[in-house]
Formats: sequence, C-alpha cells, structure tokens
Amino acid sequence: MFEERTDSPAAGEESSAQSGEQASESAVAPAESAALDPTHETVEAPSAVRAVAVALAGWLLPGLGHALLKMWGRALAIFLTVGFLVYLGAGMRGNVFEPGGEDAFARLGYMADAGTGAFYFVARSLEFGGSDVSHADGDYGTRFLATAGVLNLLAALHAYEAARGRKA
Amino acid sequence: MVPLHFSHFQSLLLFALIISLAFGTLGRRKPIERVKYAAWSFAMFLLVGIALGWLMYPFSR
Repeated sequence: MFEERTDSPAAGEESSAQSGEQASESAVAPAESAALDPTHETVEAPSAVRAVAVALAGWLLPGLGHALLKMWGRALAIFLTVGFLVYLGAGMRGNVFEPGGEDAFARLGYMADAGTGAFYFVARSLEFGGSDVSHADGDYGTRFLATAGVLNLLAALHAYEAARGRKA
Repeated sequence: MVPLHFSHFQSLLLFALIISLAFGTLGRRKPIERVKYAAWSFAMFLLVGIALGWLMYPFSR
C-alpha cells in the first residue's frame, strides 16, 4: 500500500528549470560519459522552484504535494488525516478562526486553521451553525481543526524536502 | 451537519489514533516500521495524556 519512490522524486524533469549556463555545463560531460557507458544515468539537481510549487500545492490541497511526487501512500494518508480532523473539528463545533482576529490567540488560531488550505473553507461550510466552545466538545473541536492545519503544514514541508531530493 | 459529541477520553483516543497514523506514515518508509512507530506514538499519547490527567486531578476541586 505504501510503496513509493525511494530515489529523488525531483530528478528527471528538471532540465527546463535549469539556467542556460548550468544546463550547458551539465550537458557536456554527462553526455560524453553516457555515450561511453550505456548504463549511466544523468542525475540532475532538484529544482528549488519546483519544490516550492510542490509545497504550495500540498498546502492548498492536503496530499497534493506528495501526489505530485508520486508518493501515493503518503498523499492518501495526509488527505484522509487532515480531512477527518477537519470533519471532526467542525462536527464538534470547534472555533474556525477568521482573519483579522482581535488578539494574538485569534490570529494564531487563524494561522493554524488556514494551514488546512482548501479544507479551511470546507470547515467553514460544514459549521453553518457556528462554533460552540461553551462545552468540552467545541474546545476539543478547536484543537482538532488547529492540529489539522499544523499537520498539513508539516506535510507540505515534508513534500518540499522530498522534492529537493533530501531524505524524507 | 449533525453535531458530534464525544467524552474527554473518546476525544483523546480519536486524536491519538489519527495523529499516530499520520506520524507513522510520514515518519517512516517501511510498512512494518510505520506500524511500530504509529503504535508507539499511540501508546505514548495515551500514557502521557492519562498521566497528565491524574497529575491535574488534585487541583480540579
């Protein structure tokens, strides 16, 4: 279920992202060695721009960053985990913070909630009755929503590291 | 959406289960290592949560 690529996910599609000078430098020597050795594989440097794009995609839609890297197991796990946390948090009538909070707690809460990307709006739409933190359920729901956001940000950072070719 | 109601312990169990599965999936590569790490994380969530609950119990009255 969790079989994934173990090599650098960013390798293989980077030639267009390299600058002309770098591309010309890396194109000469590997081409010669590849001609001598048919088993030689050219390893290209991971692109920082692509890694940032992967991280942004992962933030906007939980799991998308890993899906772009063909890490299907992790992509599914992140999507389901963040989605389930958001569903539970909204169902427990947790507080979905809005931008422009009055105090630091509200602003930090919004930053955490916004970490869920598109799921932030799902939480807003699910919780049409408004939040209710007068009971323990609502308080726990607030934590579930914040955890979903922070977890998704962690996953986006993980996708960035994987796209950069670092061990992740 | 129907409001969901959980007890404190049920909320703890749900939270620990979901986060442990995510940690296991993100933190390890091999399936067996993922299961072990998720189980360890789940057990620690429960243990520390219950321990903190008992530590706070004398101050709850």
